[in-house]
Amino acid sequence: MKRFNVGFAGALLFLTACSEKAPIVVGSKNFTESVILGEMVAQKLESAGCKVDRRLNMGGTFVCDSAMTSGALDTYVEYSGTALEAILKQPKADVAAAYAKRGLHWGPALGFNNTFAMIVRKADSPGLLNISDLATVADRFRPGFGYEFVERPDGWNGLQHAYNLQFAKPPKTMDLGLTYKALASNEIDLIAGNSTDGLIASLGLIALNDDRHYFPRYDAAVVYRNDIDKKCGGASKALESLRGKLDDAAMRQLNFEVDGKKRDVAAVAHDALGR
Amino acid sequence: MPSSITVREVFNAILQGISLHIDPGEAVAFVGRSGAGKTTTLRLINGLVKPARGEVLIDDVPLARTDLVALRRRTGYIIQGSGLFPHRTVYDNVATVPRLLGWSEDRIRAAASEVMTRIAMPLEKFGARYPRSLSGGEQQRVGIARAIVANPSILLCDEPFGALDPIVRRELQETFRALRSDATIVFVTHDLAEAMRVADRVVLFEDGAIVSDSTSLEFPRLQIPLVQQFVAAASLPA
Amino acid sequence: MIGEILRITAEHVLIVAIAVGVAVVLGIPLGIYCTRNPRAGRVALRVIDTIQTIPSLALFGFLIPVPFIGGIGMRTAIVALILYSLLPIVRNTFVGIRGVDPVVRDAGVALGLTSRQLLFDVELPLAMPSIVAGIRIATVIGIGVATIAAAVGGGGLGTFIFRGVAMVDTRLILAGALPAAALALIADVVLSVVERRMIKG
Repeated sequence: MKRFNVGFAGALLFLTACSEKAPIVVGSKNFTESVILGEMVAQKLESAGCKVDRRLNMGGTFVCDSAMTSGALDTYVEYSGTALEAILKQPKADVAAAYAKRGLHWGPALGFNNTFAMIVRKADSPGLLNISDLATVADRFRPGFGYEFVERPDGWNGLQHAYNLQFAKPPKTMDLGLTYKALASNEIDLIAGNSTDGLIASLGLIALNDDRHYFPRYDAAVVYRNDIDKKCGGASKALESLRGKLDDAAMRQLNFEVDGKKRDVAAVAHDALGR
Repeated sequence: MPSSITVREVFNAILQGISLHIDPGEAVAFVGRSGAGKTTTLRLINGLVKPARGEVLIDDVPLARTDLVALRRRTGYIIQGSGLFPHRTVYDNVATVPRLLGWSEDRIRAAASEVMTRIAMPLEKFGARYPRSLSGGEQQRVGIARAIVANPSILLCDEPFGALDPIVRRELQETFRALRSDATIVFVTHDLAEAMRVADRVVLFEDGAIVSDSTSLEFPRLQIPLVQQFVAAASLPA
Repeated sequence: MIGEILRITAEHVLIVAIAVGVAVVLGIPLGIYCTRNPRAGRVALRVIDTIQTIPSLALFGFLIPVPFIGGIGMRTAIVALILYSLLPIVRNTFVGIRGVDPVVRDAGVALGLTSRQLLFDVELPLAMPSIVAGIRIATVIGIGVATIAAAVGGGGLGTFIFRGVAMVDTRLILAGALPAAALALIADVVLSVVERRMIKG
């Protein structure tokens, strides 16, 4: 699979090399938040006078990263936790330094942390604010998670250990995408999602505060190739101006605009940059 | 006991005012071109086709007041292609109506054995076979046996030998003649020679109406243009 | 591990057996109904066709909030699987009965079979190879589709597959996929034999 991705990236590189004036190639992964951020990066570059080629919805982390290192992609938005765990496989490393060694620049942090979030219904959870508060409901809450969160040692098991929680009921394992629906339908009482999921606000849910800092940080940052300014002077400067542009609530809102209200990604990204 | 059949001023999509009376025990052939209304009229008699206007009476009782299922169980029906049940053995096919009538298995076996002998297909040899292992002529014989095994009071035949080759066809006509029980017989065919061989009375249909109704012997001599056309086409010795 | 595979395979068989069983009980009468009422039948077949095109996760999404038949767990998975299994069974019942030679049906009526006798003594026996083929298709497809039961916490071999995918563990994926493939093959062979037995005479 990985080999195929490299080959695919190579083909992209070849195509890019053939065009007379090479545009900056902007990528994204294949989920809403990544696409919105890719679109924001593209629009930012365009407003700086750069020519942009959008390659949004590119598949997962590995596709984006191998396209970056091969030069088929010039920039995309990555999360610090993902970079450390999945790409670098060095959880304790310094992201920026490790990326510099690979010829890539770990650029401006956008300002939000899309980490795991333990999510409950606002209505039947008065007094629940922090993850440690779950101790008061561990005897009756029915947890329900995606398979990954249950299987990974740094998922549900690690969380119970870190917070010293003993849930009476074993978690229901199911498709991650269905957990929100099941929570909203009162089939389960606690799920693990992402802190910027647009559904949190729209379904009347709250993300509990990770008061013991169990989850690693997944700070979103723009990654770009060191040679990006050769394609368009001022590109890196434009990207740097995105630093701190979005906090958790703002990102959650953008996701909701697209997923919940079905608005056009380009329009949502445009509004976000206008703020 | 053979039944009488009366068709009174019947109209529907095909039939344009058909009236006809058949006495008990008569053998009548319906002839005419395809689409002339002969099969439709035949199907009126066992209620497979309903008149839009007019009525059909069996033994002077209107079909509308008759239990059609019971009527059909005492009406034999022989059709082109035999209509044998392909998933049933020859014996089970022949036993269909007796079973519906609730006969004892001994009585059914005796009747089936007798009728199979009459069509020259002994039960011991053919009873356990399935229809598709039989020739077309054999299937049609079993179809006849199935229709007459319970001594029907009416026997309806719709082009029963239409799909068979001339030799087998001739043979079956002979068989049929020999079998002629005391049922009232209505026999649809477009073959005039066949009509004259199996029936004593010939009714000619055209465009949903009856053109002529005479004895078989008189039929070729009728001075009606359509009859003469028919006779000429059949190249019968007039 | 072997013990767990066997237990979960049995769970998988149970899910498919219940779903196909219910689909047979509902689908054959529905197929018969479609032959008797062609207009309503066409609508029913269209609806069942459409259900078939709903992606399983979307179907689960619809079912989770539905009381009694929905929720999460095996029940929802079975309900979804029943809906997916209906099409081949209803359609093959419909096609099988419609395919009965009109001359044979005509003969049945003319010999004095009641409509019930015509159905049970003539039409259904003659449609049986087609109906069994529908059940075979429903079962084989159902064994594959039932792996999605794990998406609503319904258990079955999909549990291994979902866990394996989440953990990028090929052996775990195979622990789910291989028994499912074997089950599908076995079901196909067994039901093909039954089907061929039906075409006799």
